[in-house]
Amino acid sequence: MKILKSWLNDWIDIETISTDDISEALESLGFEIESRTDKTPNYKNITVGKVLEIYEHPNADKVRVTKVDVGSKIYEIVCGAWNFDVGAVVPVALPKSEIKDGFKIDKRDIRGVESNGMICSASELDLWDDHAGILKLSDETKLGSDFSKIYNSTDTLWEIGVTPNRGDCMSHLGIARELSNYFNLTLKENSQALKSNIESVIKVNSGKIKACNSYQSIEIENFTLSDSNLNIRYRLSSIGVRVINNVVDYTNYVLHDIGQPLHAFDRDKLFGTISVRFAKDNENLKTLDEQERKLTSEDLIITDNDKPIALAGVMGGYDTEVTDTTTNLLIESAYFDKVSIMKTSRRLNLISDASIRFERGIDFNLQKQGLQRFVNLFENDQEINYSSIIDSSKNGISYDSISFDKNEIEQILGVELDDNFIRNTLIKLQIESEVSDKKIKFESPSWRYDLERPIDLIEELAKHYGFNNFESTLPIGNNLNSTGDYWDKRIYLSEKLSSTNFYEIQTLSFTDSLSNELFTPEKKSVSVINPIDQTQENLRTNLLTSLINTYKFNLESNGKSHRYYEINNVYDDSKHKKFKMIPNQEYSLGLLIPENETVEDRKGKTKTNNINTLANVIKNLFPFSELEHLTRPGFHKNYSYLIKLDNKILGFMGKLSYKIQSELELHDSLYIAQINTENFNFDQLKDFTYKPLSAYPFIKFDLSFSVPNDFQASDLINCIESILSDNENNISIFDNFTNEKTRNLGIRIVTRSYEKTYTETESTEILEMIVKEAESKFKIKLNKKDENAT
Amino acid sequence: MPELNFDKVLASLKLRLDEVVDESEFDEILKEYAGKESLLSAERKNLSNLSNEDKKVYGETLNNVNKSIVTNIKKAKEEFINNKYASLEDKENEDITIDWITNTGTHRHILSQVMDEVVNIFASIGYKVAYGPEVETSWHNFDALNTPDWHPARYESDTLYTDNDLETLLRTQTSTVQIRHMEENDPPVYIVAPGRVFRSDQLDATHSPVFHQLEGLAVDKNLKFTDLKGTLEYFVKQFFGEDIETKFIPHFFPFTEPSAEVLVKWKNGEWLEILGCGMVDPNVLNHVGYSDEYQGFAWGVGIERLAMLKYQVDHIKNFYDNDLRFLEQF
Repeated sequence: MKILKSWLNDWIDIETISTDDISEALESLGFEIESRTDKTPNYKNITVGKVLEIYEHPNADKVRVTKVDVGSKIYEIVCGAWNFDVGAVVPVALPKSEIKDGFKIDKRDIRGVESNGMICSASELDLWDDHAGILKLSDETKLGSDFSKIYNSTDTLWEIGVTPNRGDCMSHLGIARELSNYFNLTLKENSQALKSNIESVIKVNSGKIKACNSYQSIEIENFTLSDSNLNIRYRLSSIGVRVINNVVDYTNYVLHDIGQPLHAFDRDKLFGTISVRFAKDNENLKTLDEQERKLTSEDLIITDNDKPIALAGVMGGYDTEVTDTTTNLLIESAYFDKVSIMKTSRRLNLISDASIRFERGIDFNLQKQGLQRFVNLFENDQEINYSSIIDSSKNGISYDSISFDKNEIEQILGVELDDNFIRNTLIKLQIESEVSDKKIKFESPSWRYDLERPIDLIEELAKHYGFNNFESTLPIGNNLNSTGDYWDKRIYLSEKLSSTNFYEIQTLSFTDSLSNELFTPEKKSVSVINPIDQTQENLRTNLLTSLINTYKFNLESNGKSHRYYEINNVYDDSKHKKFKMIPNQEYSLGLLIPENETVEDRKGKTKTNNINTLANVIKNLFPFSELEHLTRPGFHKNYSYLIKLDNKILGFMGKLSYKIQSELELHDSLYIAQINTENFNFDQLKDFTYKPLSAYPFIKFDLSFSVPNDFQASDLINCIESILSDNENNISIFDNFTNEKTRNLGIRIVTRSYEKTYTETESTEILEMIVKEAESKFKIKLNKKDENAT
Repeated sequence: MPELNFDKVLASLKLRLDEVVDESEFDEILKEYAGKESLLSAERKNLSNLSNEDKKVYGETLNNVNKSIVTNIKKAKEEFINNKYASLEDKENEDITIDWITNTGTHRHILSQVMDEVVNIFASIGYKVAYGPEVETSWHNFDALNTPDWHPARYESDTLYTDNDLETLLRTQTSTVQIRHMEENDPPVYIVAPGRVFRSDQLDATHSPVFHQLEGLAVDKNLKFTDLKGTLEYFVKQFFGEDIETKFIPHFFPFTEPSAEVLVKWKNGEWLEILGCGMVDPNVLNHVGYSDEYQGFAWGVGIERLAMLKYQVDHIKNFYDNDLRFLEQF
């Protein structure tokens, strides 16, 4: 919302207060300052003159020659506009003056006639867009006066944010009321009583519905549709309201002045009684913008005896609009329910200054003042006849007084507020109250919808006390030195992965249905009923597609092949394991390792990975996990495994199937995995005990066995472990050589006794025992004795 | 009195030391000049032939010569070793800048890093991490947070719904975790909840359909507005540095009262909003059945916003494109 300093000054004397101080006050009261503009005239030396004579230009048809009196002297000026006659009072740019954007005006020969300057339009003086011609001023304006002095040409404009709970601050009066407390100023009274001199013709009935608490009207006869005065037009255009004519301008002016929306009807197009009701479904109304609107039973409308005449609070009807030929007016000032106005304005996407104010809730006691202000403004400009105000109000809204213990203030805010401060603040804010030793009793004024509970008043006091004037204290929460299982797991996984050359990525949670089908066809997707677009219709059921997309994107656009992981939710349509009504969501880890990986080292260019690389990563993350072969959709027939921990399925891993690899036009194989982090506890990863260190020297054997192709190395390792179970062991595979005929497996055994140093004989016995046991158990054969007993 | 030419001995020692090419020679030299077979030793044997007085004088002289021989050799050896390694190190002179310029990021996504940092700050004053679903009920996202069904925030143009009755949605704020947590836990509560939130916006430079917030909630006996201020000032100083200026300005959120926005004074003098906060509205505590002896405060902070401010990231889209050139920098 935009506000002008000069306009605020109508309500409180703030002319002498610096704009910086006012900005600070606005902000500390909760009005966010979006911008501040110091306005000065965008012209120089413009004078007020009166047109004395007009005659034809001897050599040109499109311009006229005028004689203009600027008080001290009369000048001959050539003018191209035709919207004025002799007697018009106008702004004149004499030689040595400047109009908009520094354009200099001087004597000039126009087709043989010397023009001593120019007569200006509103646009030429950068006041507002007006292409009707020159700007006509009030007849009373003193000739020769400095144009910039006859209206508030030097001013400050703020654009501020008003929070949705403060409808009462959507006007200059509302803001002035808040500032009056801040600067300790008195709010002025601006409405003058009316003296009606005609009888009204149209009756008014606010109907039986609650949605219209008050409908009031006043009729004006024999008015002239014309321009409103310069100051009004300047103020409106400054706050971004288009100037149109006196009727529209004054209704807009009252709205921005005190916050009461008004609507003007051509009275002679109305018949009978104005009433308020909800529309029937499919009832029609042509609105001011010439659109035929199909209404519903949720739309509040205004009717006369014959027809709907307006969409209440949103937009007037086309048929009863004020036009050039209108001579008599009926002005509506009403209070409509906010929810009903909001529904209509949102449904029809018609959002106006009026509807915004109704939506936030206007003062339910402001309707009469709205009409008074309108007539007061009109009276200043021209002589008019008007009726008394017709009032159809229900008094359906009232606020109970609320009483609460004063110590609640300290309990919430942590600071005791002084009684005088409380009293003064409430008086300035026009909140009726009694402040006693122990209690505060208050009653919300008619413009405040946000003061329903003690906490609401406490907030009000805190705000006017100034949030920055409160001290700061630091409470300490739980004395637990833990962030909790969920976070601990996340940190554990990302620290391990990021230190082993994985890049963490964050991708959007949406996907198309094909991507979900690819890896997790068993899951039904959760879909968004109002998706952003077709490709973002479903929530992803797996993290694999976005990992592959990221891999592919960076390979193609950066020439780099890297490992990636992501930790985020996957979603599916089954029931949530813990909560009612919502779909299943699993906080998951996705991994991708490419076959050929870029190494960030100037020596080697790439590193080759295989299924063991991925298995190793999984084992490193989950040291006690097991792999179980199971072919999953999207995976290689053999290289596809379930990952299990304590017999619970953690997730799956494997190699991307060749079919999908080819469909995605990927040159390299990819190794991928997904793990549900909710299926293990952080503690499970640390669930092991220390193995004591032997004090004796180790003996070491390197053995090579000839084994079948489907032989599993882990079986051999486990077998040897159990033979040497009394020792401290380190058993590993150091070679795995395969050709078409044979497979050789090299195993390294390092073992120490906890009791003694082995003799050479003992060492040989151990070796023989291992070989014998392995050969008989697995039907494999030792290739060549290659031991190095030490 | 027999007199050995000590100057000559020392001069010859000097020549000998100058010619050393290998460290092991020093032990031989020591043997030669101060060992059993040395001239010095021979002189010492002759001492017994001298008068007591001469014995004393000459003995002292011999001792001094011996001392300076040993010292000279020790010094020469030290110098030899120092020179040897110095010249070895002198030959090694790699261009240190070769690998200096390559990126040294942590490989963790910057949003995760910022979330960790914020979590750690609050963990240091006793907050635990809480977690709630991303596909939520409208009740948890709106009603329980004091946002009635006519509220503009609920319109479909802003919110992504997952059923036709508009009963489930993609949460628009992490404040839902406040409700989830309080439904399951008794007070006192000190939690932070980092996570994803969703809006109906196409991904571009300034918008994203997915972004991250961190919600904080403290509910206890005697928590006051002054505590809210102290807690958030502590956070801001920890995150942006001790010297940062902060101010609180009134604001409106349906689920807190009083509500405030926290602004920090940026390097260019501009005040920037970084988080919204307030005292938890009594209605919210009623919804979850907490007794009225408890009250507290809550806040929400945008993770992308913090990351953009701290690292001057210009486009929100950067966070979700996962371009290596971006990922590598953090």
